[in-house]
Amino acid sequence: MTTTAQIPLTISEPEKRSKRRGELSRALVSYSFLAPWLIGFLGLTLGPTLASLYLSFTNFDLLQDPQFIGTANYQRIVTNDVKFWHSMQVTFTYVILAVPLKLAFALGLAMVLNRGIAGLPLYRALFYLPSLLGASVAIAVLWRQLFAKDGLVNVALALFGIDGPSWISDPNYSLYTLVLLSIWQFGSPMIIFLAGLRQIPPDVYEAASIDGANKMQQFVKITLPLLTPVIFFNGIVQTIDAFKAFTPAFIISEGTGGPIDSTLFYTLYLYQEGFAYFRMGYASALAWILLIIIACFTAFSFLTSRYWVHYND
Amino acid sequence: MTRDLNRRTLLKAALGSAGLSALGSLPAFAQDARVRLYWWGSKERADRTLKAVSLYQERNPNVKIDGETLAWGDYWPRLATQAAGRNAPDLIQMDYRYVAEYARRGALLPLDEFLGKSLDISDFDKASLDSCKVDGKLYGINIGNNSNALIYNKAAFQKAGVAEPIDVTWDKFFELAAAVTKAHNGEYFGTSDASAEEVAFENWLRQRGKALYTEDGKLGLDEKDAADWFAMWAKARETKACPPADLQALDKNNIETNLLTQGRAACAFNHSNQYVGYQVLNKNPLGITMYPQGAGPNPGHYLKPSMMWSIYARSKVAEPAVKFANFTVKDVDGAKLLGVERGVPASPKVREAVSAELDAQGKLVVDFISHVTPKVGPIPPAPPKGAGEIQTMLRRISEQVGFGRMSTADGGKQYVSEAQAILSRA
Repeated sequence: MTTTAQIPLTISEPEKRSKRRGELSRALVSYSFLAPWLIGFLGLTLGPTLASLYLSFTNFDLLQDPQFIGTANYQRIVTNDVKFWHSMQVTFTYVILAVPLKLAFALGLAMVLNRGIAGLPLYRALFYLPSLLGASVAIAVLWRQLFAKDGLVNVALALFGIDGPSWISDPNYSLYTLVLLSIWQFGSPMIIFLAGLRQIPPDVYEAASIDGANKMQQFVKITLPLLTPVIFFNGIVQTIDAFKAFTPAFIISEGTGGPIDSTLFYTLYLYQEGFAYFRMGYASALAWILLIIIACFTAFSFLTSRYWVHYND
Repeated sequence: MTRDLNRRTLLKAALGSAGLSALGSLPAFAQDARVRLYWWGSKERADRTLKAVSLYQERNPNVKIDGETLAWGDYWPRLATQAAGRNAPDLIQMDYRYVAEYARRGALLPLDEFLGKSLDISDFDKASLDSCKVDGKLYGINIGNNSNALIYNKAAFQKAGVAEPIDVTWDKFFELAAAVTKAHNGEYFGTSDASAEEVAFENWLRQRGKALYTEDGKLGLDEKDAADWFAMWAKARETKACPPADLQALDKNNIETNLLTQGRAACAFNHSNQYVGYQVLNKNPLGITMYPQGAGPNPGHYLKPSMMWSIYARSKVAEPAVKFANFTVKDVDGAKLLGVERGVPASPKVREAVSAELDAQGKLVVDFISHVTPKVGPIPPAPPKGAGEIQTMLRRISEQVGFGRMSTADGGKQYVSEAQAILSRA
């Protein structure tokens, strides 16, 4: 503001031009630095996304040219597709269980680490490790071995005289082993919680304890409210991730969603329709429905956030 | 010495070698062909295929063959995606189940124009040729014939003092299997549960005079057929001839996770060419025999191309690709490297030459095919669109029945109604 005050009210033409040129070249520089990401975003994300919007109104078997069929795909999904509702139910169960449990677990551990124990960087790295490995194929394969009928989990349970079921191949339990796998990857929300906890000034706690507030009261009245922006962020990111979960179910059930479709995540159903049964148009429509659901959820979170997220300023 | 190697000399040397290589490579460039080869299967198959590839490249230095291999389940989605991107591999290992689907959609090249030239398969018998034709045109080169085969752990039967399940009826088979389980204290089962295996279901249906699909692509069975099938296996589960559902569900429909390989059950329902792959992964010597038989005279077995080579319609190197395919089915040296792991060669001359040098396991497979050949029925028509989805659906319903969430009768009803819905949609 101070610089504009010094500029005379009428700017001479050459000055104006050189200023504009300066802005232009600055914009050019910044865009050229942005270019790799921008090209990737336009070509690999936005382009295919729009193409799939078109394909969702077609009958497309991958090998022949797509035929336009209007909203027939969407109509069938809503009115005449048992598997759509079933896979929705599986995915929602997964999201509703996995996200809060994972966040609670991550917060708990972050609070323990925040007490300033010795070797914090080591623990932080160790706890973060599963998140780095979590989405990988190797971990899903390991999970399959751990939770098999004669896997390590049942060997451990047998020590207590419990005869465990075959967790991953029993439709009553298979989805919950995937929830567990997701909770185990608590590393990245934990790191963010830890950073959030560090932001809370210690004198607030001091003042509270002088006033006689116990630990529980401090947690409810100080930690949680001051942490809401971080909880909000973690909640949204984790929920979107959970809606999109694909790899663990794909690997553990080898792409079938079995046993008895008990791990048929929405994304897995979408994948089967598109790539196993050659119905790419239908799969595109399914993908757009998921996109809309995630968008609605995110919008809802943002709209309600003003009632429960407290920013410090 | 290091002093001499300054920037200028380096540059000269680089320019010189670039010039030389440009000179050398220019004429060669016109002939050089890169063929992308794509197949599904086990590690054993990959080893054999890559050996054949390197021998061929040695003999034809101007052809470079790049192999890609995947497991069955991942293979087809990948192929479909690549075909959609107009970027499919040149030489594709094709299955009888899919050849019509791909050929009718214009993704495969008719091979008739190569016949008698780079493709010399005139000594194939008529059945081996016809099974690779779609609407009168040749779209596949038969790599080998196979048939349904029961693969079993000989030691498990011997240890239990039970007769091996050779040419028995279904009733007798389950009796033997239950005896094996009993002898192993219920910890090892006489047979895996094959109620989800479409190959076994089809064989059993044919024994009843039914089929999975009719000539015109309709469903070839009724609710009672499917219900009886589920009931037969439900009884086997009860008598402990086969394992409970939660154990069976570990089988992910490949050799590696099959309960025979996992050391949980003594029998696997599969195809004869897979015997080689099973034996590699199993310590105990395995036997091979026909599936159990029905009460009537109808044969369940048939001979089919276990797989074929097809050429992508847009391939720019179709000719070199056909030549390599020809090498694997007609050149004795190439065919010997593949052995009978992809099935028994269709050419009599090659079959003889390959058989002469086979190890004991390979000989068993050839003998098995000779044993089956007089007992087979005609090959069923190529399956209709949606057949792949129905195959997945059979697995789901068999699990629902196996876990006790559905009665066998409801399973039969469910199978027929879902299959009809899938067929009418496709």
